[in-house]
Amino acid sequence: MFVRNDSKCFRFCRSKCHKNFKMKRNPRKVKWTKAFRRAAGKDMTIDTTLEFEKRRNIPVRYDRSLMATTLKAMKRVAEIKAKRDRVYYKKRISAGGKKDHEKTRNLVDVQRNIELVGSKDLQRRVLESQVVEQQGDRMDTEKN
Amino acid sequence: MIQLKSLCKVIDNSGALLVECINVLGGARHASLGDEIVCVVKKARPLAVETGPSSSSAAVAKLKKGEVGRGLVVRTRKEVRRLDGSYVRFDDNAVVMLNKQGQPLGNRVLGAVANECRQKRWAKIISMAPKVV
Repeated sequence: MFVRNDSKCFRFCRSKCHKNFKMKRNPRKVKWTKAFRRAAGKDMTIDTTLEFEKRRNIPVRYDRSLMATTLKAMKRVAEIKAKRDRVYYKKRISAGGKKDHEKTRNLVDVQRNIELVGSKDLQRRVLESQVVEQQGDRMDTEKN
Repeated sequence: MIQLKSLCKVIDNSGALLVECINVLGGARHASLGDEIVCVVKKARPLAVETGPSSSSAAVAKLKKGEVGRGLVVRTRKEVRRLDGSYVRFDDNAVVMLNKQGQPLGNRVLGAVANECRQKRWAKIISMAPKVV
């Protein structure tokens, strides 16, 4: 534990973190930290499962049955959290993810360089679809 | 790890600001948290004009530059191992000034103080500190 002069305590999980702290790095700007992932929206931040992981400054008298139920609950909470994490990840990736981006870029490529395609039939079909799309766009703008 | 010639910050209102260690009491080579040292005042707070109704500060013995006194080490840069295996380390070396009987010279302690002092009969100084780590 390191205690700064303003009596703020720092506990480091590993020496890597300690060294980075000594280098005066900002954890919110270092990509592999939890702080970065939270700040950049890569991890879940608002969730009821995260509420359980909190330091409570109320001592609890030992109780065997309470302990047992707590252990059971911890397993269940971890399960739920893992599930929600997966859903969060999927949503994040699918919305504006890499695949979508590539697809639109490929489409643009095809439409721009259509004259390179050998068969005339295919060319015409692509051009037609383009025209239809443009018309559709115009219709939309008129509606608006 | 306070030894001969180590400079320490003074974190009470005894009047001294910076002291130099000239002896470690108790026969140890270095002084650690909760150890007593003999030190000389290297830098002191300038003396206030005595024509004020500051009765509380008048009661406090003011240390001047060059005076020799005792100090209790309350913060060290060198990490100290605790019984639970963790280590505690501070930003600087700091002392609280004491008289020969082991009573604090000032009546206030400013800044964080290590919990190690409590085990070594310095509970009074711990109780004066705003923050115990």
